[in-house]
Amino acid sequence: MIFERLLGHRLVIVTGKGGVGKSTVGLSLALAAREAGKRVLFAEVDSPLEAVRLLDVGPVGPTETEVRPGLHALNLEPARAMEEYVRRSLKLEMLARRVLDSPIYQRFFAAAPGLKELTVLGKVMEIEERRGRRGRAYDLIVLDAPATGHGLSLLKVPLAAASAIRVGPIGGQARRLLELLRDTRRTALVVVSTPEEMAVVEALELRDLAGAEIGIRVEAMVMNACHERRLTKRQEAELARLEADRPSGRLEPGVPVRAAVAAARRHLARVARSHGYASRLRRESRVPVIALPFVHRAPLDEPALRELATRLARQ
Amino acid sequence: MRPADPGGALEAALRKRRVLVVCGSGGVGKTTISAALALRAARDGRRALVCTIDPARRLATRLGLGRLSGTPQRVELDAPGGAGELWAMTLDVKRTFDELVIRHAGSPEAARRILDNALYREVSAALAGSHEYMAMEKLLELHGDERFDLVVLDTPPTRHALDFLEAPDRMLSFLDTSVLRFFLKPYLAAGRLTLRAASRTGAALLRLADRVLGLELLRDLSEFFLAFDGMYEGFKDRAGRVFELLRSGRSGFVVVTSPTRQALQEATFLRRQLAERDMPCVAVVVNRVLGRLPAARGGSGRVEVPPALRSRLVAIFRDHNALAAVEERGIRGLEVDCDCTALRVPELDDDASDLPELVAVAGALLSGRDATSRRRLP
Repeated sequence: MIFERLLGHRLVIVTGKGGVGKSTVGLSLALAAREAGKRVLFAEVDSPLEAVRLLDVGPVGPTETEVRPGLHALNLEPARAMEEYVRRSLKLEMLARRVLDSPIYQRFFAAAPGLKELTVLGKVMEIEERRGRRGRAYDLIVLDAPATGHGLSLLKVPLAAASAIRVGPIGGQARRLLELLRDTRRTALVVVSTPEEMAVVEALELRDLAGAEIGIRVEAMVMNACHERRLTKRQEAELARLEADRPSGRLEPGVPVRAAVAAARRHLARVARSHGYASRLRRESRVPVIALPFVHRAPLDEPALRELATRLARQ
Repeated sequence: MRPADPGGALEAALRKRRVLVVCGSGGVGKTTISAALALRAARDGRRALVCTIDPARRLATRLGLGRLSGTPQRVELDAPGGAGELWAMTLDVKRTFDELVIRHAGSPEAARRILDNALYREVSAALAGSHEYMAMEKLLELHGDERFDLVVLDTPPTRHALDFLEAPDRMLSFLDTSVLRFFLKPYLAAGRLTLRAASRTGAALLRLADRVLGLELLRDLSEFFLAFDGMYEGFKDRAGRVFELLRSGRSGFVVVTSPTRQALQEATFLRRQLAERDMPCVAVVVNRVLGRLPAARGGSGRVEVPPALRSRLVAIFRDHNALAAVEERGIRGLEVDCDCTALRVPELDDDASDLPELVAVAGALLSGRDATSRRRLP
């Protein structure tokens, strides 16, 4: 039960090539976890178009907001996370404000490569470690990792920082982050793909790189937007006979038979492709693959997300 | 102004311009479009180079090369065509950065000092921004290479599609030692960090730096910036020249998007930003368009089909067209917002997997508006 296994972790990081539906998968997973009774935080990073809008809630921004009972969401802003860090480090508000306003801070701290990623991940770690009066704030954090370059660039930063910066607080923070990312009991990395050559190849490379370069194991892969068979074998045979007759006319008003047959052929080709790529991913990745169906509704809405969540929970 | 023949504008750009920058958000098929454009130019007789960010090695296979490298490789064109040439390479970020350092360092020792610096080794390749910066740097170098008439540059996938234009600036302001020298001076001067500074803010900044970064990092940093001292001007000069090139009539941008809402929004934003920067956009390409199936063509009689199959076929047809309609509405919105006519490339059966398929993509691109009506159906 791969879903159960994911729920056993405290931080699930969802990553993958751009455009594969990471946010949809992440949000569905968060919904599914909530259905299973968990207190969940769904965290996006600097997202211009928040995924939680699909639940009909306005932008939540950088504050943890309860969007459904038991489901919180936030959109981490690197600049904001960094400011919080400065405030915590300096303690004196007036001084902090002066530092934040100074051109040196603006140019150096804002431009230093990697520092933003570190503070964003640092914020996630802080939330993960936070304890309230009734214990942990959340049972599960789902982090929708941004798709900059390789899906890994965010996760690479702690290692790069830890090896470049041997001592000092930032170095220490980087090492603690690395520990969190590598802790297979706390953290699970989920790679999302779609039934396309590029997405599959990249997902496989991501798994290799995550292991080889950062030392993170991929817990599961998601094959998103799989086309599921809508015709039985028998209907497919009937379709072939129908085609052989070279029919002309309509199935019903507005539905020419030839166009409908073409649509069906296209559908079957996509089904075959979905199956092919899903089994290739299973074979080559050697990690559990969760298949999620292509959703015909655009834009996605809450019922569609719930359907995806239900499917996830069954795997 | 909307050109009457948008495919024609792209075709003209492929014939005359020296640089085409292909940009857009991740997962929209920039690499495929880049390769298709370069291939087309080569078949039309130009010596075209495609420089791509192809982490998946897919393009290399597709072009019949084992693996793309950081140096241009000639691609065999088996198809008949003019006397053109197709070259392909991939961007090696680390190596490009090293070359830049070697070129601008005052001496081999100065270059070595930087190349050996722990921070440089991590910062130069692994981190956000350097990719985009190096893409721009490489572009300038390739533009000056006499072997090529046309350079097609595939840009890195970015969170915000504009990052590749802004990253060089961000990297440069990071490397701007005039700011950092002030910041690090107390340390550099005394050989150790002193928390005395002229102003209270200055002192607070240093304290923050110590608390956040730690002394060792500060020393690495100061070494790093000392080593870069004097090179910044050279860097800045080259960045300025890239921007000049990109704004000139020698260059053109091709904005690529997929028909999903999020990608279309990014494309609109990108197109606007390009206009604001006076960067010439020669085409907006919507890749993998589903396309509506005709609801009116064919005879009028009712066809006899088993009822269960009939209802399935009707549902599949309706779902297809409903999705195609949503896509088309989105694309029209993009056209209105950008005041342009988008080129539509139909979704092929699979990703363009070999040269003929790339030719098909290029054909669809350049045939203009009716590309989708010639879609291939299984």
